[in-house]
Amino acid sequence: MDSNLAEKPAAAMPETGSVRPRLPIRALLIRYGFLALLAGLIIFFSHATRGFASPQAAVFILQSVSITGILALGVTATLVVGGFDLSIGSIATSAMMAAAYVMVVLEQNALVAVLACLAIGALVGLINGIIICYMRVPDLLATLGMMFLLIGLQRIPTEGRSIAAGMTMPDGSTAQGAFSPAFLALGRHRFDLFIPNLVPAAVVVLIVLAVLIWFFLEYTRFGRMMYAVGSNARAAEFAGAPVKAYKIWAYVISGMFASIGGILLAARLGRGDIASGNNLLLDAVAAALIGFAVLGAAKPNAFGTAIGALFVGVLLQGLTMMNVPYYTQDFVKGAVLVIALVFTFALLGRNGR
Amino acid sequence: MEFSRRHLGKIAAGLLGAGLLWPAAASAQDMPAPFDNPGDVEIALVRYLSTGDFFQAYLSGVEAQAKALGVNLRVLDSRQDAALQADMVDQAIALGVDGIVIQHGLTESMKEAAQRAVDAGIKVVAFDVNVENDAIPQIEQSDRDLARLALEQAIKDNGEEWKAGYVYVAGIAPLDRRNETWVEFKEKYPGIEEVAQFGTLDNPIANSVANQARSVVTANPDIQVMFAPYDEFAKGVKIAIDEAGLSDGINIYSADISTADISAMREPDSAWVATAATNPAVVGEVSVRALAMLLAGEDPGHNVVVPPTLITQDVLNTQDIKNMDELSQKLPQFAHADVAVPGWMPIPPRD
Repeated sequence: MDSNLAEKPAAAMPETGSVRPRLPIRALLIRYGFLALLAGLIIFFSHATRGFASPQAAVFILQSVSITGILALGVTATLVVGGFDLSIGSIATSAMMAAAYVMVVLEQNALVAVLACLAIGALVGLINGIIICYMRVPDLLATLGMMFLLIGLQRIPTEGRSIAAGMTMPDGSTAQGAFSPAFLALGRHRFDLFIPNLVPAAVVVLIVLAVLIWFFLEYTRFGRMMYAVGSNARAAEFAGAPVKAYKIWAYVISGMFASIGGILLAARLGRGDIASGNNLLLDAVAAALIGFAVLGAAKPNAFGTAIGALFVGVLLQGLTMMNVPYYTQDFVKGAVLVIALVFTFALLGRNGR
Repeated sequence: MEFSRRHLGKIAAGLLGAGLLWPAAASAQDMPAPFDNPGDVEIALVRYLSTGDFFQAYLSGVEAQAKALGVNLRVLDSRQDAALQADMVDQAIALGVDGIVIQHGLTESMKEAAQRAVDAGIKVVAFDVNVENDAIPQIEQSDRDLARLALEQAIKDNGEEWKAGYVYVAGIAPLDRRNETWVEFKEKYPGIEEVAQFGTLDNPIANSVANQARSVVTANPDIQVMFAPYDEFAKGVKIAIDEAGLSDGINIYSADISTADISAMREPDSAWVATAATNPAVVGEVSVRALAMLLAGEDPGHNVVVPPTLITQDVLNTQDIKNMDELSQKLPQFAHADVAVPGWMPIPPRD
């Protein structure tokens, strides 16, 4: 891939005396075009709607993208190693069901529920990785299979019922457990930041995970090696890197991020809702792909993914405030994705070559 | 409110009647053919929608009534695949079942399949899907009455002038019918101003609606009433209102009910003040009873309507109702419907 060229456009053109005057505009456009578009959107919505330009609005935009954003950061890890994870949406909903099951049916506390979810995410990621690396099943197919498997599996313990406190079990008895307040706080607690009760816990989790995965991918040896595996697995293998281990780790990361998303979803809804999670998957993948275009990276990157998620959030919440119906919003979301992909592959591709 | 009192009386009378008839109806010998030998009767439930509290409860009602009759029940679930649902009707015809309950679906895909079943001599009833067939009784929870009960309560609580947010997705039959009532109400009460309309069916619905509602209440802080005529919508709106800290200023009116809804309505300072609901289990029972009447050669009528009940936060709190079982026990009009109950019909046992 030409990712290393695109990453440092200035350094890649050392001798271009005659071309240089033309370049900065284009280089600037490529690097900052998407961020400028985001800023433009924010300014537009601030003028077009009441209440958009407020700290509360900023917070709930972040909150609306927190779950898909976390899933998107996870899928970014698999994109980095040249893979893909279609099972994240169903991992998230399975984790949501598991959290509800552990607390409502098994009557355990919040910690057990969280640990169970993380374990499920890690285990599913591990299985994905093993199937892909050792059984040589293509990543899309392996994770597609896992997606269907999980959509079915999450319904088996309750025979297809949603889980809520006081639910009727398949055998006719009533579940005695309830969501613990500590668990619900993960989705509902708000931290003070200048204004009391401003920042929801889910947003804090998103920001912490975004910074962690960004630092991990960009600045640790492990992360850089994952990029190396993604750009040329064979070369990385010849260089002595344990390619399979890196790939498996990427799927474990993806699975665990997805399960964290599921935990936050369960905490926000306060129940285990049967859902395929396909919308979560699509929104997360969209955010990660839009992220390719941010800063002209032309490769999966955590910062871009976070900005991509934010971009979708700003757009959708702004449109909702302007009373735009949901189907128009889907259209706009799709259009943004197409434009971002064209931007990434056409504009940057040409620049790289 | 005249409505619910009238129905209360009717339902109470029906209950009394059913209670008196119960011992006589219990034994199979007293039932008309083919129920004199109910083990030989097989009915199929062909479903389009199955996930969600409502559909779970509906199925339990179908199962309970089938058990009370002593007939065999076969459940075919197409999980929102319209083509598969039509195939399943053909499958049921091939299996030689005696009766079919069609639960939801699309008119376009089910109309011909239903006709094929009728042509094959199978008795068919349809719930919440119009199959446009005179031989097929339509079981309905009255969506217009549901919306009307909730909106009448909104007028009672908030007067005739308020700013409203409305949650709606077009193209879903029950929501469209509820929408008709909303449009009528806005004409009847010009003081009602709809300042925002939103809605989505993206899974998980409550989460997606919460995100939208949060934007709406921020853009329109003067909204007093949220009309969310589907409980998943109401859940989402409630999450958003709680997060925005606006539960004092906004009242939510909705339709449908489940155990989770009851606990949401009963949370301290909950903005969700009332919902109108038909007991989905009762609708399931009525579906099977109407089919049984057809099989016995009786006519349940072309439109079999199950009346809804208004459930307010006040009632839930004062009677300390925590789940659907307690709701059925403490609001008998919710637990039973005096619909499609000829004298011989066995009724599922109540606890």
